[in-house]
Amino acid sequence: MRNAHRGRIAALLLLVVPLTIYIAVYVAPLLSIVSLSVDNGALSNRFVQLSEAIGSDDQDQRAAALLHDLASMDARERAEAARMLNQELGGFRSLVIDTGKAAEKIDPTMAGLVAFDARWKERAYWDVLSRNLASFTWRHFQKATGFKPDETGRLRLAEGDDIYLRIMARTLLIALQVAVLTLLIGYPLAYAAANGSRRLSGFILTVVLLSFWTSILVRTTAWVVLLQSDGLINNLLLDLRLITDPLQLIFNRFGTVVSMTHVLLPFAILPMMNVMKTIPKTQVDASRSLGAGSIETFLRVYFPQSLRGVFVGGGTVFILSLGFYITPALTGGPGDQMVSYYIAEFVKKSLNWGMASALSVILLLSVVVLLLLGAGAKRLFGGRVVEA
Amino acid sequence: MSRIIYWTSLALSLTFLILPLVLVLPLAFNGSSFLTYPMEGFTLRWFEVVFTQAPWVSAFLNSLMVALGAMVVAVVIGGLATTGTILSGRWGQLILSGLFVSPLIVPSVVIGVAFAYAFGRAGLGGGYVSLVLAHAILGAPLVFLSVMTSLKGLSTDLDRAATSMGASRFYRFRTVTLPLAAPGFLTGALFAFITSFDEVVVALFLASPQSTTLPIALFSGLRDRLEPTIVVVALLLSVLSLLFLFALNTLQRRSPSGAR
Repeated sequence: MRNAHRGRIAALLLLVVPLTIYIAVYVAPLLSIVSLSVDNGALSNRFVQLSEAIGSDDQDQRAAALLHDLASMDARERAEAARMLNQELGGFRSLVIDTGKAAEKIDPTMAGLVAFDARWKERAYWDVLSRNLASFTWRHFQKATGFKPDETGRLRLAEGDDIYLRIMARTLLIALQVAVLTLLIGYPLAYAAANGSRRLSGFILTVVLLSFWTSILVRTTAWVVLLQSDGLINNLLLDLRLITDPLQLIFNRFGTVVSMTHVLLPFAILPMMNVMKTIPKTQVDASRSLGAGSIETFLRVYFPQSLRGVFVGGGTVFILSLGFYITPALTGGPGDQMVSYYIAEFVKKSLNWGMASALSVILLLSVVVLLLLGAGAKRLFGGRVVEA
Repeated sequence: MSRIIYWTSLALSLTFLILPLVLVLPLAFNGSSFLTYPMEGFTLRWFEVVFTQAPWVSAFLNSLMVALGAMVVAVVIGGLATTGTILSGRWGQLILSGLFVSPLIVPSVVIGVAFAYAFGRAGLGGGYVSLVLAHAILGAPLVFLSVMTSLKGLSTDLDRAATSMGASRFYRFRTVTLPLAAPGFLTGALFAFITSFDEVVVALFLASPQSTTLPIALFSGLRDRLEPTIVVVALLLSVLSLLFLFALNTLQRRSPSGAR
């Protein structure tokens, strides 16, 4: 009893350092991007007086607060606020910038405001303002998914705003193509590694592990060199007179999918091989002795039992593909970039942490949900195999 | 018929897996600056460039320093995390393992964005420290897993023998179990080192021009201009992976749990 107690205390003492580092360096940053994705500090901190006055019934008080807030912003802050509000409702940019420039001269009443620009009479502008004064916003997620609430509050897909939705669909499609290709190419290798002679399976395993541990960047480099327009493949085809002009093999979907397939191949092979090793060879012999041909035996006895490995391998490749960045960046064109690329662009090009965070949260959630689904399916599927 | 299908598909798949690197890496020795065959003589001059010119040499040194630092930090936090987790209760083990392994499933870009923001706010941005910490977090799960595997694979007989001689649980753990798990620590350290040395995405978000690592230099070289020096760097990184695989193999043969 006392020993068990001491064990617990020792565990706690040992865990202090790793838990502190994990929480400070890893958990806290992840949580900070979750909060950044819904953070509206850039707007709520600018309209301090208005956010207090917006609830009042006194129109003049609201107008005065708005003018005071606009007057206290510098030109850059005003432009930023105008840009954000304009994303919500067209026309806001000019309205905010013009009113802001003249804020000190306008009579601080609703009548004065409307006299300066008649648009201030319209409710829509005030509604958008009051919605965006909170320190919390769905704006980034609305932009990322293209879904926005309309006047009645129902979510609608806004026209022409589905750019990130299409990028997500493209990401899923590329991940699916890569997963299917790795399975097709990996299956014979996994089969030979599990069933071939000792020398063959040892050779294949070594090659697969070597490929697994060679950096993704190095393998991508090989493909860039192979696929370029005066690269090895084009030169070979030209020398064989199969083509007369170099083919465009890189900076398009072909290059992206081929190089990603090569990079991710080991992740499909290893799980398939592990499952295939557990399939008893006696079953194949039994099927053959009962008169089934080798192809029928494979299709009806072997293949169904190897499916568990196919799902694990394909699922792993699919999930890993979703977050791919450097391989498509080096071998794809502008139309082949995946979600990760746009996340990186938002950070590096426009310092738009809100959009980068919202897309990151969506990507991370997709991966977690798929992993949970996979774990659930594995439990169901794995149970059936044990029964059989 | 089925033999033909089997051998053809195997040959095609094997070609796809092996040929790219086998064809491209020898171009590091190509006499001309074109990355294609036939090779025009054999030269080591691209190696000389990589080993003497500033961007590559300093990137290599940066990578080495970051990887060594990340390895030490990862082994310390991964090792402490494993031992602490093993000594916890059943639920504690489940939750702690989940937390300590979770960096493996978070896409690198997400980690990159999160760390770039948080480290920037903390005033760590761009430096050696932020790269070491970030890579340590990526390496720690691998240390955790390999130490955990070697601890769980240990025979319970030795532990029981120590119990019969009156050793307490904590004393047994410190003097019997941990020394036997040493190969697990070494394997984990290797994993952490190579993970950091090969890592691009998170480093792209964190590194400043002064702390550029070798993979970043390779990445920007690829975007910029294809030169034989790029293939030289790729070849050197592949040789490193080969050495790593060899070391891993030797370790696994020696470890008591690897004998199963």
